[in-house]
Amino acid sequence: MATDPVTEFSLDVPRSAEHGEARDAPPAGTGPWRLAARRMRRNKVALAFGALFVLIVLVCAAAPLWANQVAHTGPNTNHIADTIELDGEETQVVSFGGIPIGPTWEGRFFLGADRNGRDTMVRLLYGGRNSLIIGLSAALITTLLAVLVGLLAGYFRGWVDGVISRILDIIWAYPVILLGVALGVALAVGGLQIGPITISGNSLAIPILVIALVYVPYMARPIRGQVLSLREKEFVEAARAQGAGPVRIIFSEILPNVASTIIVFFPLMVANAILLEAALSFLGAGVQEPEPSWGTMISDGVDLLITAEHLAIVPGLMLVLTVLSLNVFGDGARDALDPRAKVRLEH
Amino acid sequence: MLKMGNLGRRAVALTLAALAMLVIASCGDDDEGDGGGGGEGRKGGSITITYSSYVDHLDPSAAYTVEAWQALWNVYTPLLTYQRAEDASGNELMPGIAESLPEISEDGKTYRLKVRKGLKYSDGTPIRASDFEHVVKRIYNNEGGGESYFDPIVGAPEYAESDQPDSDIRGIEANDQTGEITIRLSEANSTFSNVLATNFAGMVPQKTPLDLQDSKPPASYGPFKIGQVVPNRSFELVKNADFNLPDIPPANLDKVTVRQNKSLQQQTQDVISGETDYMQETVPPDLLPEVKSKYKDRYEEHTVSSTYYFFMDHKSEPFNDERVRQAANYALDSSAAVRIYGGLFTPGCNFLPDGLVGYEKIDPCPWGDPNEPPDLERARQLVQESGKAGMEFEVYGNDEEPSRRLTEYWSDTLNKIGFRTRPEIIEASVYFDTIGNTKTGAKTGFANWFPDFPHPYTYLFLTEGKTIQPVRNQNYSRLDDPEIDRLIQEALREPDVEAAADQWAEADRRIVEGAHEAPYGQRKLSTFVSERIDFENCTLFHPLYYDDYASFCLK
Repeated sequence: MATDPVTEFSLDVPRSAEHGEARDAPPAGTGPWRLAARRMRRNKVALAFGALFVLIVLVCAAAPLWANQVAHTGPNTNHIADTIELDGEETQVVSFGGIPIGPTWEGRFFLGADRNGRDTMVRLLYGGRNSLIIGLSAALITTLLAVLVGLLAGYFRGWVDGVISRILDIIWAYPVILLGVALGVALAVGGLQIGPITISGNSLAIPILVIALVYVPYMARPIRGQVLSLREKEFVEAARAQGAGPVRIIFSEILPNVASTIIVFFPLMVANAILLEAALSFLGAGVQEPEPSWGTMISDGVDLLITAEHLAIVPGLMLVLTVLSLNVFGDGARDALDPRAKVRLEH
Repeated sequence: MLKMGNLGRRAVALTLAALAMLVIASCGDDDEGDGGGGGEGRKGGSITITYSSYVDHLDPSAAYTVEAWQALWNVYTPLLTYQRAEDASGNELMPGIAESLPEISEDGKTYRLKVRKGLKYSDGTPIRASDFEHVVKRIYNNEGGGESYFDPIVGAPEYAESDQPDSDIRGIEANDQTGEITIRLSEANSTFSNVLATNFAGMVPQKTPLDLQDSKPPASYGPFKIGQVVPNRSFELVKNADFNLPDIPPANLDKVTVRQNKSLQQQTQDVISGETDYMQETVPPDLLPEVKSKYKDRYEEHTVSSTYYFFMDHKSEPFNDERVRQAANYALDSSAAVRIYGGLFTPGCNFLPDGLVGYEKIDPCPWGDPNEPPDLERARQLVQESGKAGMEFEVYGNDEEPSRRLTEYWSDTLNKIGFRTRPEIIEASVYFDTIGNTKTGAKTGFANWFPDFPHPYTYLFLTEGKTIQPVRNQNYSRLDDPEIDRLIQEALREPDVEAAADQWAEADRRIVEGAHEAPYGQRKLSTFVSERIDFENCTLFHPLYYDDYASFCLK
């Protein structure tokens, strides 16, 4: 079994051989994916949290619906000097002392307002949307890059492995938050120009790229370790003996055998990307104001913890629920794909 | 049970008498006090104070933020300075490095001063009359934003354009033997004595390099000298034991450490807990009620002369169209600023703030009552008429709270009237340099101004065409209106500022009625100190430089 300082693996059986070696022997004719699905169905807690995540995604996706049909305001629209009618009384959205209104539990300002008189519920939903877009996109890019470099480094070994591993080591050497803040601030100020493509500093693409980049080693190294092990297996030797080239071996023989690892990693990577986005936005290096994200909302709310505690608590709670649901679901997926695996992210 | 003998009774009587005298004496101090500060305080000790944004420069030739001037006022003493007093007398000039106020010729074009004898900078270098020309040269070489104040000196504009840093400025003559300085102006200028008292004119030795010396600030003469500097993080003001000028008290404290902390909440909590001793910014709205009620014995609010406005670039679209500037003014809601500053703000529509000569309240305000809701419909209509609707641009602001929120508010307001804008938030310590660089191309954004001296020109020069410069430009709107310039120049030539009050007021009115800027009021500041500081006797709030760190003392 390949071991790694970060991730310990014991994966499901290779597709081409060794079916009989699986510890939890399936009934005849049951494939590993069907077996995993069966295990997953039995894990009610993981399914419940998976459903919770889907619910959060759906609610956040419906942000424009809430904004246009219920709250009748946008996420960045200021109502600082406006008044609303509450219980028959005219109430200021933000008092002359600068304190915003709390939850009204009505369509407008359902969760109150922030200091600029922006509707907290609307910003929460749009912020969630931004956080989820960044988390999912960053995790996807991380996965693609990590799989690619992990496969190349693990299969070719030698100087290819040396170069890739050293680059990964350099990225790994920096704490995630520090590297994220450094890149985030630099790119937020100057934007990014890649050939003909220009990304402005306030684009969501900036935190997506930053988060995707800093997490690549955390996924690529375990995959590389697994590929190093798999390339020595008999089914790879058999393919090589049949005249298959490196590209075909990598994508037809090895990649399917690391698929379960990738699937297990992905939700954990999304959770970590959402957390990092929140941290970067909190520090001003992620999503740029006035665009909402849960991180920027917590940052805004911290300044009013005494008089308007809901401003920090509500986005914080959403963040906890989202990350918790992804982590529990991810753990369930890991258990389902291979009950012996101890795949985890550490940094 | 113990009995008290005669001796004991006498001792008690004497103690009570002594206590009574102390009480009477302390009451007497209160009566003589000037409302908090400036008195003889306990000497010695160190304090830590916090700034929300680091100073723009520690070199007096270029330093120009409130934070920098508040600290450097007591470090680099100019030829002239201001009385250390809280009331209006704090606006009165007094001799600093010079022996006396300048002798001004009848035509107002020649100023004669004499440097005090025997003074030495903090590095031991003697202070000489010829240092003054070096000070002016450094202002031009470092393009600190104060150059235009010195343009009236004969030969100064030529020096600025000559690219010969070592050449002389013809209008300045100095005699190191006698200590005499003669300054000749190209035309009379009623502000020039005040210019000589600005922080820019703080004296430094001639051996100071002409370029910026922020990491190792020049030697100085003042109640404090600069100690250790950690760029963009902290600096120290260390008591200058050799400082001795009449009517300028020496520093009470041995050391003041200035640190940056962007969180106003944290700064306030630190002052409450005694972790730090003073916060330069105002207490945030969240904690203001608590501070006002629980710590009122060490908290005070002050209305200060200032103007808050959004600049609008006249040289580029869309604000080169008067209708767009009018629309912006119609849409502006001063009450938003009141809320954002937690009530520490007074709405208004004048550019020239209340309390200065030339201030005449513009009533009614041409773009709507600042205390009433804005006319967004009219604003939208004007934007449509201008044909600029839908234009995309950035709205500039700095990352300091709460001005960042004002920028977000302004960006949203411009979006509501038909533009597509987004806030561009710049780090506070480089913000004004950034928008003052014409290459940035800032079309509109947050601006505020606190007076450099008690004179209307300190505000109206911001709107004078000739002050437009490519870098460190202070005329952010690049306003170049010949009629406003004429009024300002005529008023400046009048030696008596009161006599030109009507012209200053007319210039202000033209700025507002022409929608050249979008002013919305003036700020209140606060003083909040830790329990360690003797708030009652040792916190002088100067009308120009605000909290005077040299006056601070420990209990």
